[in-house]
Amino acid sequence: MASGSDGLGLGSEDYETLMATTDVELLKKAWRNEKASPEILRFQFNLIQRSREQIQLMEETVEELAESGADPLTVSLYQMDLDRVLFLLRSYLRIRLQKIEKYVIHISKTELWNRLSDQEQKFAKRCTDDLEKHLNQSVLSKLPYGYQSILKQSISSEEDDMGSLLNLHQARRLGHD
Amino acid sequence: MYGRRASQLVKEFSAGEKGQLSAYNSDMFDQVIRECNAHHLELQNLMRKIQDEGLDIQTTRNADHFGAVIHHLSLVRNKRCLMAYVYNRAELIQNLRWKAGPVLPPEIQEKLSYSEEEYFRNHSAALEAYMSELELDLTVDMVPPKDPYIQVRVLDDIGEVLLSDQSANLARHSMHFLKRSDAEQFISQGLMEELMG
Repeated sequence: MASGSDGLGLGSEDYETLMATTDVELLKKAWRNEKASPEILRFQFNLIQRSREQIQLMEETVEELAESGADPLTVSLYQMDLDRVLFLLRSYLRIRLQKIEKYVIHISKTELWNRLSDQEQKFAKRCTDDLEKHLNQSVLSKLPYGYQSILKQSISSEEDDMGSLLNLHQARRLGHD
Repeated sequence: MYGRRASQLVKEFSAGEKGQLSAYNSDMFDQVIRECNAHHLELQNLMRKIQDEGLDIQTTRNADHFGAVIHHLSLVRNKRCLMAYVYNRAELIQNLRWKAGPVLPPEIQEKLSYSEEEYFRNHSAALEAYMSELELDLTVDMVPPKDPYIQVRVLDDIGEVLLSDQSANLARHSMHFLKRSDAEQFISQGLMEELMG
């Protein structure tokens, strides 16, 4: 962010405040936060909604511009800007999805569940089901009765002690990474 | 016995290159399962012996009880090793979907057990359901874009293709100036390569 005054006559502080509130900046911030945080953060529903609408508008504008025979450099600059915002959006959603994949059992059992969007919750549910089916098929169905639970080592366990194996204890796991 | 073979299985997994799947060792896996069942049998025998002698199961602490405890602990240890083996392979399989796309090349497929192949298909379907609900393909744009157009060389004959802003004849060894988003799908399948510099 340039410091000092610029041709717009805005002081650098005003410029920065203005920039910080545009949706692109908010999206960048959300993306940075999600990328840096080991646990999944609250889904920015409104921001994503607005960003998608603006991207749609931008796509239509660029198409019209291209067809109207405007300067190709201008068109490609707008296109470039559009591509970069699309990348931010896709990367944001992708990072969240990968976190869900990795910690799906933990997320399903704690208040982290509320940080997911509706579609993400659907995805997480399918993930858990697929994983449980796979573990049951490969391992648990072949073990003796009383040792077939995913979360408990055996029926004599008082709590879910398969935890550290299945990424349930995130804090401990992060210490190992 | 007593967890040795199971720990071999886990060691085999961790000795492999990070991020690479080795072949599913179903032999060793089945051996560990057989051990588990053997332990369980012994465990039940000992418990029955305690009961037959008229002692209380919950509170007796004789040699039989401790023998049973050892069998129980070995069983649990085996279970943890087996679960770790399958679960960590499953994590690698999840990553495969992002790296290699919805169809696995045969060299990878032969390393998976049947259940793992099914898991990959289900996981892939879950991902695709999410993406189509959002109407956004999340497997493109894996790196931040530097240019809207890139130069590519075609590696395999693709033929006449209609792209978003032009139609091109993608013959082998021909070079084109394509939109990045169009080229990405060909590049990830290995049909094209990007020319840098």
